[in-house]
Amino acid sequence: MTMRARVRTQLGSLRLDCDLSVDSDVTVAVLGPNGAGKTTLLRIIAGLVPVDEGHVEIDGAVFEDTATGTRQTPEARRVGFVFQDHGLFPHLSVLDNVAFGLRARGMKRKEANARAAEWLERVDLASYARSRPGALSGGQTQRAALARVLVTDPRALLLDEPLAAVDASGRLELRRALRERLSSFTGVRLLVTHDPLEAASLADRVIVLEDGRVTQEGPFGDVSARPRSAWIARMAGLNLLRGAVSDGAIRLDDGSSLTVATDVHGAALATIQPRAVALYRQPPAGSPRNVLRCTVAGIDPEGDRWRIRLEGPVPLIAEVTPAAAAELRLAEGGVVYAVVKATEIDVYAI
Amino acid sequence: MNRGVTRRPLLGLLIPAAVAVLFIALPLIGLLTHVDWSNLPSQVASADVLTALRLSLECSAIAVVIALIIGVPLAYLLARTSLPGRRVIRGLVTLPLVLPPVVGGIALQTALGRTTPIGTVLDHFGIVLPFSTAGAAIAEAFVGFPFLVITVEAGLRQRDDHLEEVAATLGARPWRRFWQVTMPLAAPSIAAGAALCWARALGEFGATITFAGSFPGTTETLPIAAYSSFEGSGQIGMAITLSLLLLVISVLVLVALRDRWLGALR
Repeated sequence: MTMRARVRTQLGSLRLDCDLSVDSDVTVAVLGPNGAGKTTLLRIIAGLVPVDEGHVEIDGAVFEDTATGTRQTPEARRVGFVFQDHGLFPHLSVLDNVAFGLRARGMKRKEANARAAEWLERVDLASYARSRPGALSGGQTQRAALARVLVTDPRALLLDEPLAAVDASGRLELRRALRERLSSFTGVRLLVTHDPLEAASLADRVIVLEDGRVTQEGPFGDVSARPRSAWIARMAGLNLLRGAVSDGAIRLDDGSSLTVATDVHGAALATIQPRAVALYRQPPAGSPRNVLRCTVAGIDPEGDRWRIRLEGPVPLIAEVTPAAAAELRLAEGGVVYAVVKATEIDVYAI
Repeated sequence: MNRGVTRRPLLGLLIPAAVAVLFIALPLIGLLTHVDWSNLPSQVASADVLTALRLSLECSAIAVVIALIIGVPLAYLLARTSLPGRRVIRGLVTLPLVLPPVVGGIALQTALGRTTPIGTVLDHFGIVLPFSTAGAAIAEAFVGFPFLVITVEAGLRQRDDHLEEVAATLGARPWRRFWQVTMPLAAPSIAAGAALCWARALGEFGATITFAGSFPGTTETLPIAAYSSFEGSGQIGMAITLSLLLLVISVLVLVALRDRWLGALR
C-alpha cells in the first residue's frame, strides 16, 4: 500500500509545498521544528483542512484532487488519526470511546462493544472499560486512543506527536510498546514529531519538513549523519558548513577556506563533530591543519562535556572537558584557536 | 490577590453594601412574617391555588420545550458557524431580555392575534392563541427563550470543535457528531439554560396577561393569580400564600443551579 500526497497551500504565514510518498512496509516520521507545518500536513491528509492545490490518495483511492474537484469528507477516508491530545470523549466510557468508530460505521452495539473489549484487552486496559477517560494516566490514554483508531481497521494511521502528552518518566517504556504496535499494523503509518529521538526510535524512515518544505528524507541514520539543513545538523549535534570544494579545500560562502580530504568536487556540505574541534590558547605550529582564530560566544556545560560556541571565520561548536575548559581559561569574549584535522571533516555533495 | 491590603474593608463601602443586602432581604422577611402559617396548608391545597399551580407548571413546561426545540439549534448556529448576520440575530434574540414584557405581549397580539394573517390561518385549523393556554405558553416562551439561547451559546463557545473533528476521523457523519458529541458535551449548559428559561417563564406576568389575559383555569398562572387576589378581591392572605409558593420555587431553582452560577464566581 502506498499513500501519495502532493500539497500546495497557504495557511496564514505558512506556505506548505511538499510531495510525500509513504509505503506501508515502513513506519515514516515527519520530523521538523515547531511551526513547520507537520500537523497541518496530517490534517490535510485526514481531510480536516482543505488545500488550495493538491492530490492525496492511497493505492488509487483518491481522497482529494483539486484538479478534478474531488474531496472526500474526513469520515469517508477511513484514515485513523491519533491526535496529540489523544482526543478521548470525556462523556463516554473507555469502552464506548473505543467502540465509537465501529458504531459510527453502522455496526450493532453488541458486536461493536465485543470488538472494543477485545482491543482493550490487547492494550491492557480491560479493567478500565467502564472508566471515564479522565481516570486514565497519560500512557493509558494514548493506548486507548490508539485502540480506538485501530479497531476501525483504517487504511492509514496518522499520529501527531504521539508521546508529547505523556510525561518523560513513562516515555521510554511507552516508546517501545508503541513501536511494537506500529509494526504490527499493516497499513500506511505516518507520524509527526519535533523530537529526533522519537523519530529515530519509532520510524524506519524520516522526512524532514522545515518551513513547509521537505528538506531531506531517508533512513534516520543517513539523515542525521549527513544533514542538509542547519536545523537537522543542530538536532544531530553537528557543525554544518556549506561551500564549494576544489583542490583539496572547501571554500565557504563567507570566503574562508578549510583543507579537506575528499573526492567530492563542487558545491558541497561538510560536517564536523564538536569533539573533533580542538582548542588552543596559542596558534599551534606544525602539521597541515585548519587553524581558525575564534572568540568564545557562549559556554553551555552539559555534564562531563562542555559545549563551547565559537564565532570566527565560520561559527563552530566545540566540545571539551570541564578540566580542559578550566586549563584554557575559557571565558565569553576570549580568543581561542580552533583546530580541525582535514580527515575529521566529512564532505558530501549537495 | 492582595489579601493583606484588601482584607480590611473601607467603612464607606460597607454601609451602602449593608443597605443593598437589606434592600433584598427586608421585603422577603416582610413576606415571610405575613404568612398565615396556620391556614397555609389549606390555602395551598385549595382548588384555586392548585389550578393556578398546575397551569403555571404546564405553561412553563411547554415554554421550555418550545425554547429547547428552537433555541438550541439557534445557539449552535450562532456559536459554531459563520452564519451571515450573526450579530444582528444575536441582538434580536436578546431583545426580549430588556424589552418590557407588556410590549412583548402587545407585539405578540399584533403578530398572532385572531385578525392578523397568521391568526387567520391558525383560526382555519381551529387554533386560537390569544387568551388561551397555548397563548400563555407562547408568551412565556417569548420572554424565557433568550436565557436558553445565551446560556447554550456560551456553553458551546467554551470548547472548540476539536472533538467533533476526532469523531469525523472515526467515521461519524455530521448528525452523529451533533447528537453523540456536541449535544452531550453541551448538556450542562443546556440544563442550566433550560432551568433559567423555566424560572423566567414561571414568573412571567406582563406578556402573559397582555397576550393571554387572566382566566382562571385557562391563562391565570400563579403570578397572575397572586396579582388578582392582591389587587382585585383584596385577599392579601391568598396573595401572600401564592407569593410564598413562587419564592420557594425560585429558591429551589437557585439551589439547583448554584454550582453553575456561584461556582464560577467563587
